[in-house]
Amino acid sequence: MSVFYKEEANIGTVTFDAPDSKVNVLNADTLIGFGTILDGLKNKNLKALVIQSAKKDIFIAGADIKEIENITDEADAKAKAQAGQRVMDTLEDLPFPTVAVIDGAALGGGCELALACRWRVMTFNDKIRIGLPEVNLGFVPGFGGTYRLPRLIGLQQAMKMIVSGVPVNPQAAFKSGLVDRLYPAVGLQESVREFIEEIAAEPGKRVLMRKGPKGLAAFLDNHPLGRMVVYKKTIESVQKATKGFYPAPLKAVDVIRKSQYLSREQALDIESGAFAQLAVTPISKNLVRLFYLTEKYKKLSVSGAEGIKPAAMSKAAVIGAGVMGGGIAQLLSNRGVWTRLKDINHEAIAKGLAAAYDVYKHAMKRRKARPHEVAAKMAMITGTVDYSGFADVDIVIEAVVENLDIKQKVFAQVSQVVSPKAVLASNTSSLSVTEMARVAKDPARVIGFHFFNPVHRMPLIEIITTEFTSQQTLVATVAFARKLGKTPVVVKDAPGFLVNRILLGYINEAGRILSEGGTIDEIDRFAVNFGLPMGPFTLSDEVGLDVGVKVLHVLEAGLGPRFKPASIFDGILPKKLLGKKSGKGFYIHGKKRTVNNEVQALVKAGGKVTEHEAIERMIYIMINEAALVLQEKVVDGPDAVDIGMIMGTGFPPFRGGLLRYADSIGIDTLMERLEALESRFQDGRFKPCDYILELKKNGRQFYT
Amino acid sequence: MDRIAIVGGIRTPFCKMGTNFNSLSAQELGRIAARELIERMDLDVKVIDEVIFGCVGQPAEAANIARVIALLAGVPKTTPAVTVHRNCASGIEAAVNAAIKIKAGLGSIYLTGGTESMSNIPFFFSKAYQEILTGISRAKTMPAKLQEFAKIRPHHFLKPNIGLQLGLTDPVCGLNMGQTAEVLAKEFGITRRAQDEFALASHQKAIAGRALLREEIVPVIPGPKYKEAVMDDNGPRDGQTMEALAKLKPFFERGTGTVTPGNSSQITDGACALLVAGELRAKVLGMKPLGYIRSFAFAGVEPDRMGIGPAHAIPMALKKAGMKLSDVQAFEINEAFAAQVLACLRALGSEKFARDFGYEGYTGEIDPAQLNVNGGAIALGHPVGTSGARLILTMLKHLNRHNLNCGVVSLCVGGGQGAAVVLER
Repeated sequence: MSVFYKEEANIGTVTFDAPDSKVNVLNADTLIGFGTILDGLKNKNLKALVIQSAKKDIFIAGADIKEIENITDEADAKAKAQAGQRVMDTLEDLPFPTVAVIDGAALGGGCELALACRWRVMTFNDKIRIGLPEVNLGFVPGFGGTYRLPRLIGLQQAMKMIVSGVPVNPQAAFKSGLVDRLYPAVGLQESVREFIEEIAAEPGKRVLMRKGPKGLAAFLDNHPLGRMVVYKKTIESVQKATKGFYPAPLKAVDVIRKSQYLSREQALDIESGAFAQLAVTPISKNLVRLFYLTEKYKKLSVSGAEGIKPAAMSKAAVIGAGVMGGGIAQLLSNRGVWTRLKDINHEAIAKGLAAAYDVYKHAMKRRKARPHEVAAKMAMITGTVDYSGFADVDIVIEAVVENLDIKQKVFAQVSQVVSPKAVLASNTSSLSVTEMARVAKDPARVIGFHFFNPVHRMPLIEIITTEFTSQQTLVATVAFARKLGKTPVVVKDAPGFLVNRILLGYINEAGRILSEGGTIDEIDRFAVNFGLPMGPFTLSDEVGLDVGVKVLHVLEAGLGPRFKPASIFDGILPKKLLGKKSGKGFYIHGKKRTVNNEVQALVKAGGKVTEHEAIERMIYIMINEAALVLQEKVVDGPDAVDIGMIMGTGFPPFRGGLLRYADSIGIDTLMERLEALESRFQDGRFKPCDYILELKKNGRQFYT
Repeated sequence: MDRIAIVGGIRTPFCKMGTNFNSLSAQELGRIAARELIERMDLDVKVIDEVIFGCVGQPAEAANIARVIALLAGVPKTTPAVTVHRNCASGIEAAVNAAIKIKAGLGSIYLTGGTESMSNIPFFFSKAYQEILTGISRAKTMPAKLQEFAKIRPHHFLKPNIGLQLGLTDPVCGLNMGQTAEVLAKEFGITRRAQDEFALASHQKAIAGRALLREEIVPVIPGPKYKEAVMDDNGPRDGQTMEALAKLKPFFERGTGTVTPGNSSQITDGACALLVAGELRAKVLGMKPLGYIRSFAFAGVEPDRMGIGPAHAIPMALKKAGMKLSDVQAFEINEAFAAQVLACLRALGSEKFARDFGYEGYTGEIDPAQLNVNGGAIALGHPVGTSGARLILTMLKHLNRHNLNCGVVSLCVGGGQGAAVVLER
């Protein structure tokens, strides 16, 4: 039993309290239990019915995603949604006041349950988030959310919540009218009792009737023409954001639009139909799996180190105040970590501080940060040209120029001045962390901590362990990555680690396709059509071709000739067409970006690569490299590859990840195509690696 | 005996009003100095008993600025903070306040200092305009609002009260600080030439002492542009000449006066932090004191002769220390105005003065070679709330550099006071 009923002084109380769990979810059993309770109340004449949760910081976290994941049949999906809808209808139709008392997360089905109550009260608990995040899982709300939310808070606000899937905090919920009142968590029972008295005194009248929207907002919410504008604008912005790869938000708009003037019964029928259609799609399944994957990595623990408590990290030193160093300092300060930023002169430190402030400035522009907060956070970064202030840092993050000699010097020096407990981390993107550890006083405390650029936006951190790295160091670093709000992937020290190794194979292949006679913007467009956030040449221009080629050389030296930079890069580098930083790269970065014909002219004309072939070559070469990464045990499984590629490179989430995508192709087809490409180019780069051969031999896939 | 130790100190460069630090608030300057001191000393912030900062023109948006500085500098929220104000001696007041608290057994580690952003002292609306504005916001109906509105005249906002000017004018005697210097110049017969020569020396010493002064300065990279680091005080003028000084017109008393902007202190932004600790506790924590506060004194004088304050405070402090003036090896007398410092030197050298006030045995001639050896406020600038702390820091660095035992720092104080501290190693 996970839902209980109690009655006292003619006030009924339903309490959700799933046994042996920290959260409540609306799985089939719970829904049936709840429905049964409601059925028993239909003919009663209660003063009020209170619905609450016994869990800390959770009201109801949503429907049971596992149950949805397992549905493969549309009719099953529809029946499942309808079962939930019926319970919500029963709740809505009860002849006495119903009050949802929300003191924790109320998401998806949990929010929909609250919507079916006549009243919603909430606490000021800052853990509370309420909303309908279903579109993030590739489907639409299925328990009446699309019907009730627009009718409660108006079309525009409801549309925003449902289409973005972003839940809101108590203050925003109150402002929009989603909840009727906010109370302190202390004395909540008493407050609820008073609330019930209040509504009992004036039945039928909403206690807190907020003024409805006025002027333009009212027109957009209520007038048929205004509504049309809202639909059109929403669809436009969704299409721009999703590039058409994600059907759920559009479907949500469609459902709301179609059902706007319909009865509850008809509207809910449209909703459950849309839910069913979407829930069985591969896109939805991929997004659900990705949800599990991110949840797993959010809680990632280091195996074999369960007993080790991570050391607290409240002060850091960043060495090197370049773009990365400045970005890292910003992130640290934003997360409340005191930061000592060291470089060789004050001009360099000034640049680092400017880079950090730039991030805050943009946040202020978008009203994501207020000036006094930014002043306090910038105050957490102080510059230095010596090692003063290093004695009490908990972690040093080295972000100097990518040169092993210089980095070794830094590690040798810094390990003399910090406390014996400090972690020594390198933000290298490709150099050997092991070689850095060798020169440190205590190699056990050295670890790789690879951020991606721009630091404040990219959610991934690669944590690179060497043979010397202690468990204590690893545990502390993983915990620190999480403190910074990043997703850590633990990688063994090997050339290019995980993400760059796989990604550069793709960029290099794009270079080869270009050399053969492709066009720059066309190849980029192919990649974007596949769902990548940007094409290989756009990406190269962002990072700088010199950086990419430098890493390719490292990879070539460490992993073999398949990473020899494509010949076209040799033609571009001497011309200093490096990308955005030099104004010109594959594109000319003026006010409007145009293809740089100087580069395109280096390509022999006439060759033509089809979209299909280009994508196949660029993606399959990554899959083969990822398999090799697994074969060499650089990471512990396909999960790590997929989370790394999605969070580190923006590999399309709707495809579930690189290796999920590989599984959707099937090992047989994959092998066949790789072999065909290998026999065409005969240089070994497409030769299926042993890991893939093994999978095929055993009739397995990456994930099964 | 548990002496009062100064275990560390650092300051920002001093920058003339409206120059490099124009964009930095007093609290920002203060936190830069305070945080850097914490960093350089590897100080465990949990040991700090209280934060005490002096500030004269406290920004309206940073009431109790010491608390704001403490929080921005990473001092625990549970540690209290208090702002002190003794006008130009506020920085000394902060250190002395800590000393008194340590002696009273209230605590043993105090993060003190002074901060001032004279670039950011606001202009004020007149009372009349203020009343119109509140009238508008109080008026209930539109016509009533318009009626109030119609009372506004251009002079209401074109002629604001300038906060800095107000602060530098004595509210009791009505004289501007510069005018009080003119009073002393007349009384002691201090010529324009003597003042200009004193000013020239200040610049020359400050330029020559640039490398030494860097030892007490943390380079500051002012936001929000973060364009370049300010490494040095920008007040000292290389190549300053008597001719250039002579060209300046008397500012406070046109025609008849002798006090010019060239022989007065500069109006300046800057902050300084000092860690004050009980000697025993400092030793337990492994701190190495720069020196100790042996005694201090504050004296009251006529407001219109406020510049004479040091001539009274110095012998009073020496008497408490049980020392003669000739025992002192170095002096820092704040150069609010050349006329005022020269007047103090004359008074201290006069037996009649000593007799009149009962300072016999505690006054004497001060050797110019021992006075303000790396320049003073005429060259370096005088951020009013900061200068007292800066003098202590500069003096202690000087004593350590030359292995001297005893130094005295002193300031004249607007409103008619003098402050002096006897420092020893």
